[in-house]
Amino acid sequence: MKRLKQFAYHEPTTLADAIGALAAGGPTARVLAGGTDLIVDMKIDRLPTTAVVNIKRIPGLVGIEDLGDATRIGALTKVTDVEESTLVKERHPALAAAASILASPPVRALATIGGNVGRASPASDLGPALIVSDARARIRGVEGQRDILVEDLYIGPGQTSLACSDIITDLVVPNPSPGFGSAHVKLGKRGSGTDIAMAGASASIIIRNGVIEDCKVALASLGPTPLRATIAEESLRGREAAEEALAEAAVAAAEQATPIGDIRASASYRMTLARVLTLRALRAAVESAEERGAS
Amino acid sequence: MTIHLESTINGRSVGINVDPTLTLLEVLRENLFLIGTKEGCGVGECGTCVVLLDGTPVTSCLVLAGDADGRDVETVEGLAPDGELNEVQQAFVKSGAFQCGFCTPAMVLSATALLRRNSSPNEEEMKQALGGILCRCGAYPKILEAIIAATGEGA
Repeated sequence: MKRLKQFAYHEPTTLADAIGALAAGGPTARVLAGGTDLIVDMKIDRLPTTAVVNIKRIPGLVGIEDLGDATRIGALTKVTDVEESTLVKERHPALAAAASILASPPVRALATIGGNVGRASPASDLGPALIVSDARARIRGVEGQRDILVEDLYIGPGQTSLACSDIITDLVVPNPSPGFGSAHVKLGKRGSGTDIAMAGASASIIIRNGVIEDCKVALASLGPTPLRATIAEESLRGREAAEEALAEAAVAAAEQATPIGDIRASASYRMTLARVLTLRALRAAVESAEERGAS
Repeated sequence: MTIHLESTINGRSVGINVDPTLTLLEVLRENLFLIGTKEGCGVGECGTCVVLLDGTPVTSCLVLAGDADGRDVETVEGLAPDGELNEVQQAFVKSGAFQCGFCTPAMVLSATALLRRNSSPNEEEMKQALGGILCRCGAYPKILEAIIAATGEGA
């Protein structure tokens, strides 16, 4: 069996105790949420770990709540529950779609939304979907609570702007404007989700009177972090939501991608995927907006 | 250091002291000798270590022992407590839905969990439910046939 090396194990029941244990443990103390990334990283020795702080005994970190003008998703909410949430499906189709193709069912039943964001994988499925949905992460740390755009959390592969003792407690996703639609697409080697993305793309769009008022595109596995395709977005603003505009934007998105080649796909293949998946995500986002009543 | 677990394993209350650096998979196989649960990749990709945690299939190689405390764990051994195979297991036997058998406990548990939740799933739902479990022998068509048979369809 692949064994875990020894580590100090903590099961705090309050956020304050968890933050204390993380601060005391230093940079090799890790937050255990769902474990589907952390345990793997520990087993293959990718992440030196001397202390594990299991935050699942802390109340209040699970559940999806309608705040009226936003949706609050507790950091320990399972990916399965995000996938199946009626509220998420209605308000944020990209997020529901990304949750439904993240890894496989027995992993989604363990994995959490906060863990997926905190892991900061460049191949994250939820990251791009949260970014195009303008989601914020609520953080609790030594100095209290603060909110930060999910997009601003990511600074490199596996790296966030958070301090070692910070804990993501919630994701807060504002309600979309009228005319909104969003979508997430991904290509992995094992078909319907299951596998880590060779590449992925999320798109959100706001269409009014046939014109694209706003648009966001975020890419997965196409750069060191989930990546905004800002030039593509800019090229679409003010244009009609027609195939030609979407196709041009997809080309622009690929020009902003900076993929590496690895075991899953070569860099040049990923460049092709950047264009193709952006186009598919944009088309699906337009369709989503139309289904939701955009005109 | 050890931690104490109070869990329900295959319908029985179990109290046990374990090393907190063990996974649920290791506790099941090495402390409780429930070796029906298999380790394949050990990193959540192959799905052969699937057990039901509070009724839901999960990869037990990625669950730390402490997270099994207070939970209901069901392994393949629990599906036939008195030696009487459940309907999914019987269908697997009848269809010959295995070759080497290494993925069978995970397949049978996942299919059982699916049918408890949804007594008449369609083929796509069956494929989705088993999507995380690899069968290196490629017995998928027979496995699907067995699950269809277990729903009472196609018999």
